Amino acid sequence: MKPKALLCVFFILLMACKKEKQEQGTLQLTFTSVVNGAALDLNAASYTNAAGEAFTVSAFKYYISNITLVKMDNSEIKLPDTYFLIDESKPASKTIQVMAPRGEYRGFSFLLGVDSLRNVSGAQTGALDPVNGMFWSWNSGYIMAKMEGTSPASTAAGQALTFHIGGFKGEHNAVQRISLVSPISLTVGADRKPDVTIKADLYTWFSLPNQVQFAQTSTIHVPGEEARKISVNYSNMFRITSVTDL
Amino acid sequence: MIRYVIYMGCLFLLIWSCRKTASVRPGPQPYTLELPAEFPAPVYDMGQNPLTVQGIALGRRLFYDPRLSRDSTISCGFCHQQFAAFAHFDHPLSHGIDNNTGFRSVPGLFNLIWQKDFMWDGGVNHLEIQPLTPITDPNEMGEDLGRLISRLNADQKYRALFNDAFGEGEINSQKLFRALAQFMATMNSFNSKYDSVMRKLPGAQFTLEEANGYRIFQEKCASCHKEPLFTDGSYRNNGLPYNPYLHDAGRMRITNSTGDYLKFKVPSLRNILKSPPYMHDGRFYDIFNVFDHYSEGIEQTPTIDPLVKNGIPLSVSEKRELYFFLNTLTDHTFINSKSLSEILIDN
Repeated sequence: MKPKALLCVFFILLMACKKEKQEQGTLQLTFTSVVNGAALDLNAASYTNAAGEAFTVSAFKYYISNITLVKMDNSEIKLPDTYFLIDESKPASKTIQVMAPRGEYRGFSFLLGVDSLRNVSGAQTGALDPVNGMFWSWNSGYIMAKMEGTSPASTAAGQALTFHIGGFKGEHNAVQRISLVSPISLTVGADRKPDVTIKADLYTWFSLPNQVQFAQTSTIHVPGEEARKISVNYSNMFRITSVTDL
Repeated sequence: MIRYVIYMGCLFLLIWSCRKTASVRPGPQPYTLELPAEFPAPVYDMGQNPLTVQGIALGRRLFYDPRLSRDSTISCGFCHQQFAAFAHFDHPLSHGIDNNTGFRSVPGLFNLIWQKDFMWDGGVNHLEIQPLTPITDPNEMGEDLGRLISRLNADQKYRALFNDAFGEGEINSQKLFRALAQFMATMNSFNSKYDSVMRKLPGAQFTLEEANGYRIFQEKCASCHKEPLFTDGSYRNNGLPYNPYLHDAGRMRITNSTGDYLKFKVPSLRNILKSPPYMHDGRFYDIFNVFDHYSEGIEQTPTIDPLVKNGIPLSVSEKRELYFFLNTLTDHTFINSKSLSEILIDN
């Protein structure tokens, strides 16, 4: 064996050893959905947007990916291969288990959406499988977040609301990094598994800073400036509401 | 007598051992793609989807299986015909289930592993997910991806073929797309007369007309239709008069940039005489209509490509010689290749 190859093998071995030393625990994130304080009830309740227009919601889905933990000294740990699709219609999808190195953390951040690399890497599996209906075939890329419903204000057929927000390129990049600081530190340990409840408020999508009136905008299903503006709005969607030790 | 018994015993063992190996499923056998030295490195990373004999065979079966469409009438091979270099011969616009018609022509399929994006507007960014568009488009195969995956999983034959190609397990869309990508990766065209001449193979030379045509091509066409792929992979407005019935904005649909209005992918000229009609909307049935367009028919629009803005004047004899040169780009090995030909799916 060539010395270079040997060195490589040695390095890989070393990496493997190093990994084993870092013991893993679990962090649980539970997402709940609301609209301006009221619990989200698909296909049932009616809500009012910031412009005073009534609406209902039939679908609410979004990607959470690339979770990064923030340690007490503000250093960051990127967790590998974390891709989750939160789907309001599938209760099991709303609680996610994340493998994390044991330790104490002050918070975490994640992408609301799918990083550009996975948008250009061909066929994917799991949460990223296009079978989940969150991938545009005609203009390759993930729908980062999706809201569908109806509003009497909508001028679309069936008074439909269709907000498919995506785009990962240049000025139309709708991928948002969300940072959340926990009210108390999160300790991941052998017998400590923090459960963080995160509230997602759909009201934010259509309020600040880019207020949406359904009478004017009821359909977005292409990447572009309108989609990006919604993504700026919904980057304020999340709040941590409670932290418990399981 | 003893010797006879021993021989019989050996024979029996031999047969037995054969039987045993036949019942054990071999792993997928690696397949080595032969590529021409003068071509650039492929864009498609086969490292993430290593080609195997079983994977390619499965991809070919899927390609020719009409059950990939919603009503089991249209396979990929329905519109992508081998004799037309996998374009749809004589069809200006793509056809689909329920007598639906698309709004662009069917592109030929070859040398796809060198393509960085797909479709006339470049909207698809990866070879593996390219089939998602025709499979799910209501104007083409019109099927729901989830339903298709369930159907494949319910099919014993496909279960076995997928297991052979990708190991045991559920069939998912990644395996479907990777099998198709493996087959598509073998659809390569680089054995035309032109290639033989360039490689200086014994006896290969252009006729006088072909040689003149090649000179004209190099002078007037080659900056967009760049050798050896005969496309530079770019998007350009080639001055086609706007078609008011199709309202096709071209690449602007993908980029949202008005600078990309009416721009379409520069297609390869390989096998071009086998794959009429021409242009993104199949408006020209004859290659001479195409020559006439560049020579005399350019329409001025703000995004027109500078290279065609003033037209590309071609005399009658130049058009004729160009035709003879383009004829040398037909790859008979490719369009007659037995390993790519249609297979009948009986169960």
